[in-house]
Amino acid sequence: MKVIEVENLSKIFRVKRKEKGMRGSIKAIFKPKMKEIKAVDGVSFTVEEGEMLAFIGPNGAGKSTTIKMLTGILYPDGGNVKVLGIDPTKRRKQLAYEIGTVFGQKEQLWTHLTPYDNFRFFGAIYDIADGEIEKRIEELSDTFVLSDFINTPVRNLSLGQRIRCEIAASLIHKPKVLFLDEPTIGLDPVVKENIRSLIQQMNREFHTTIFLTSHDTGDIEKLCKRVIIVNSGQIVLDDSMAHLKFSDASLEDIIMEIYRSR
Amino acid sequence: MLTAVKGKGRHTSRTMSMRNQLRVCLLSIQYNIMREMINKVTFLTNICFMILNNASFLVQWVILFQLKDEIGGYTLKEIMLLWGLCASSYGLSHILFARVFSLPELIINGKLDAYLVLPKNVLLGVMTSSTNTSAIGDLAYGLIVASLSGFQVKRMLLFLLFTVTGAVMITAFALLLGSLSFWLVRMELFGDQMVNVVISFATYPDGIFKGAVKTLLYFMIPTGMMVYQPVHVMTDFDLKGLLVVIGYAGALSVAAVTVFYRGLRRYSSGNLMGARV
Repeated sequence: MKVIEVENLSKIFRVKRKEKGMRGSIKAIFKPKMKEIKAVDGVSFTVEEGEMLAFIGPNGAGKSTTIKMLTGILYPDGGNVKVLGIDPTKRRKQLAYEIGTVFGQKEQLWTHLTPYDNFRFFGAIYDIADGEIEKRIEELSDTFVLSDFINTPVRNLSLGQRIRCEIAASLIHKPKVLFLDEPTIGLDPVVKENIRSLIQQMNREFHTTIFLTSHDTGDIEKLCKRVIIVNSGQIVLDDSMAHLKFSDASLEDIIMEIYRSR
Repeated sequence: MLTAVKGKGRHTSRTMSMRNQLRVCLLSIQYNIMREMINKVTFLTNICFMILNNASFLVQWVILFQLKDEIGGYTLKEIMLLWGLCASSYGLSHILFARVFSLPELIINGKLDAYLVLPKNVLLGVMTSSTNTSAIGDLAYGLIVASLSGFQVKRMLLFLLFTVTGAVMITAFALLLGSLSFWLVRMELFGDQMVNVVISFATYPDGIFKGAVKTLLYFMIPTGMMVYQPVHVMTDFDLKGLLVVIGYAGALSVAAVTVFYRGLRRYSSGNLMGARV
């Protein structure tokens, strides 16, 4: 069953261009010049249920923009998107009940609250009944080994502990699809490995579809069976990990080669 | 699709959905206040000094009314009502919806993402995501001054109602101007200035303003309907005047919410690192 269907998706950002210096600033007031940047340019792909997909590319390739259109944060300028059969632009709230998101660079948790209080808050957001949420917190605490710090304010946690809590919070409502945007950014190798194991476990136990963007080849290599590489807003490669790693070269070298050649 | 977790929103009725939304808003406000209370000394000092700060302005009016019995058609009691209503409306708005006043910053820096991925109303989520401690001092000051201006049950009930309509108007006005940031850059300064203009005019009796200025205060900025008209209704009850205030608050809110959602389609997010603090 296809859980993500993207067809000819595009997004254009219009940015102001100004000539250098004060003169340029004054000129820009009276005669502003705009430049169109195609952040995503006619992208099409599908993702099957339970698949773990790496959606990668260099900075500015259009990865995050694509994720944001899939989750309903941004409105596309063209094309069609369906996630679990739902159009994110028309039924954002309904879709939000079915998906989870983790943005490694942006915290969703309240830092002055403990992870427990945060989970209770997210439980309320997803309309989970009181008795049910207690059970769910216990499950997540066991899976992500949170018991030692579940009652410590988030601001006092280490980065690794915080990311574990972020992922746990995004799973509070048992989402079918989890979007992970650089979830291991800034983490040490041990914590990274820990997070990867948890993601694998989640996929195995709950059959959660994982849509991952990361610059870390370790994440991609250890988690994903399929890789989509984007560059300048277009898909330049959509292949299985096994096929990509057919040669003796490391995955990092192969990816670098693809980035440079396009 | 998902059926594992009980009580999912799509199965609930509209009433349930509204009740859940209200529960989330109240939880959010509660957590905001809990955050502010982490440092008890700062929390209490902010409130007390705001009351003191507001009180210092009233002293000037007391001195003025020793020289003259009436200014712009207002006696000291009416000035106290005016100040009280302005402070309590501003206070209530900043306790519940402080984030609206920094909306341009959220739009420009792409900080609406966290609210857009949640299955709740984006606008309410944003609005209730922050509070302002000193605003508790404003609200308390407003209620104290209104009581001192001559306590009557009917007048106090009207005062509470107008505090709510005033808070709705100042919030809606800030939302309307803040939402323009979806189209225009550097709108935060203009928005702040306009909100300050509303508050500054609200502390003077409307009788001293004539012609174009008076028109501006009633039709271009909400000062007239936020404080002047309510003070007139409180001192000399008039049902029609009361309904006009409520209608104005409703119309301004609808306009502000419409502009926000129109603008949201243009939201371009961002890649800045950030934390929900």
